[in-house]
Amino acid sequence: MRYEKYEHIVQAIEGTRTIDDIQEKLKINRAKAIYLLHRLRRLGYIRTKYLPNKKRVYSVSPLNKQKGISYLEAFNNNMPNAGFRISDKEDYFVHGKTIKAEDLLVYALKKGTIRYVISSLFLFRKIEDWPYLYRLSKKENLTRQISALYEVARLFIKKVRKMPKRFRRLTIPKKEDKYLFVIKGFSSDDFKDTEKKWKVYIPLNRADLEEIRLL
Amino acid sequence: MININTQEALFNQIGNALPKKIVVYSIGGTAMMLRGLKGETLDIDLVFDKESDRELFIKTLVSLGFKKDEKRVIETYGLKKNAPAMLRLESGDFIFDLFLNKIIISVFSDGMKKRAAQTHEFGGNLVIRVADPSDILIMKSVTGRAKDNEDIISVINNNKLNWDIILEEAKEQVKLGNEHAILGLGEKLEKLINQKIIFIPKPVTDALWNLFKEQVKNKSKKSKEKTFEKKKR
Repeated sequence: MRYEKYEHIVQAIEGTRTIDDIQEKLKINRAKAIYLLHRLRRLGYIRTKYLPNKKRVYSVSPLNKQKGISYLEAFNNNMPNAGFRISDKEDYFVHGKTIKAEDLLVYALKKGTIRYVISSLFLFRKIEDWPYLYRLSKKENLTRQISALYEVARLFIKKVRKMPKRFRRLTIPKKEDKYLFVIKGFSSDDFKDTEKKWKVYIPLNRADLEEIRLL
Repeated sequence: MININTQEALFNQIGNALPKKIVVYSIGGTAMMLRGLKGETLDIDLVFDKESDRELFIKTLVSLGFKKDEKRVIETYGLKKNAPAMLRLESGDFIFDLFLNKIIISVFSDGMKKRAAQTHEFGGNLVIRVADPSDILIMKSVTGRAKDNEDIISVINNNKLNWDIILEEAKEQVKLGNEHAILGLGEKLEKLINQKIIFIPKPVTDALWNLFKEQVKNKSKKSKEKTFEKKKR
């Protein structure tokens, strides 16, 4: 019964909203909007996030009632600020286990877009289980791409931990190996040495990563 | 009835108990719950691709204390073909309906499988792909149960449906042997439109009736051909 009462309100304000949005959308005053958010949170429809300026943003969705999390949400949770979070439609949800940074790195590279690749560099800060990452990336044929992007991440991102020698040794290309793309058709003008070393075309230039260096 | 949180916990338990990864499709109330369109359901309806996966799922449910309910199968579906395997907990007031590709008269077509893009992974080994709202609507419209009307209204009012897909799928269902698909859908929608509970663009209902006329025409043509052949013999 309680669910039905608020179902329509949730449908009306579904998405990422600020308190002002909710007031405007439902044509109610601030006090009523705050009370409504309180009720909806108790029913499990609301997840609160904070913007860099500490302003609250509410994610309103019927799916929030479940504890599962989508890959995209987990990916965005690992980003240092809103500038690197990605807004996309995501259809894969995981319940009952946490999504590791290793899973997210492979997920991001499989997406094959520049935005995902740039943001994924931050995940190297969180990689702890290198053998797991190796197994995952081997399955998707992404081992060399990961090593090449790791080298780029080390150049631009602070606090990236050292890659174990074993991972490096296992992913180093053989003589007969051909060049691989991270994103088909994109190569770098600035990271030629890294490209040559790993036989991987890196879809980034220094200019793309200047913003990252400041973080 | 099972609510969204209990269902999630149960699926996680099953996902952890399954010995290997299996992919199933959710339809009906379960699909609506996973899409956030409903708060609770009586039946957990799942469709399997392979008999071996269904067997494994049943084994896992049995190991978790569920029991097959043959009596309920006969009570609900009679001796209809493609009746599901039904399992329930002795203490529980919800039931698992486990179908194999066909849901009584509806067929879980390749198109439906492709459109079931939203995926939920539970406990590692249970992957549930959720039927598209348009397909939920088609399957709900041929059941003839009054309780499905509420779900149909919720699907239509809370989703931006692509009516072209729905018309195409209804046609596909007829091709696959579900002769009630077009008529059932048309009838149900007209009833709800007349009650002014839902709004559907007129070209859609017109197209639906045209499809039905075409179906009747084809059927009478076929039966005439059959009788002609019989007489010839």
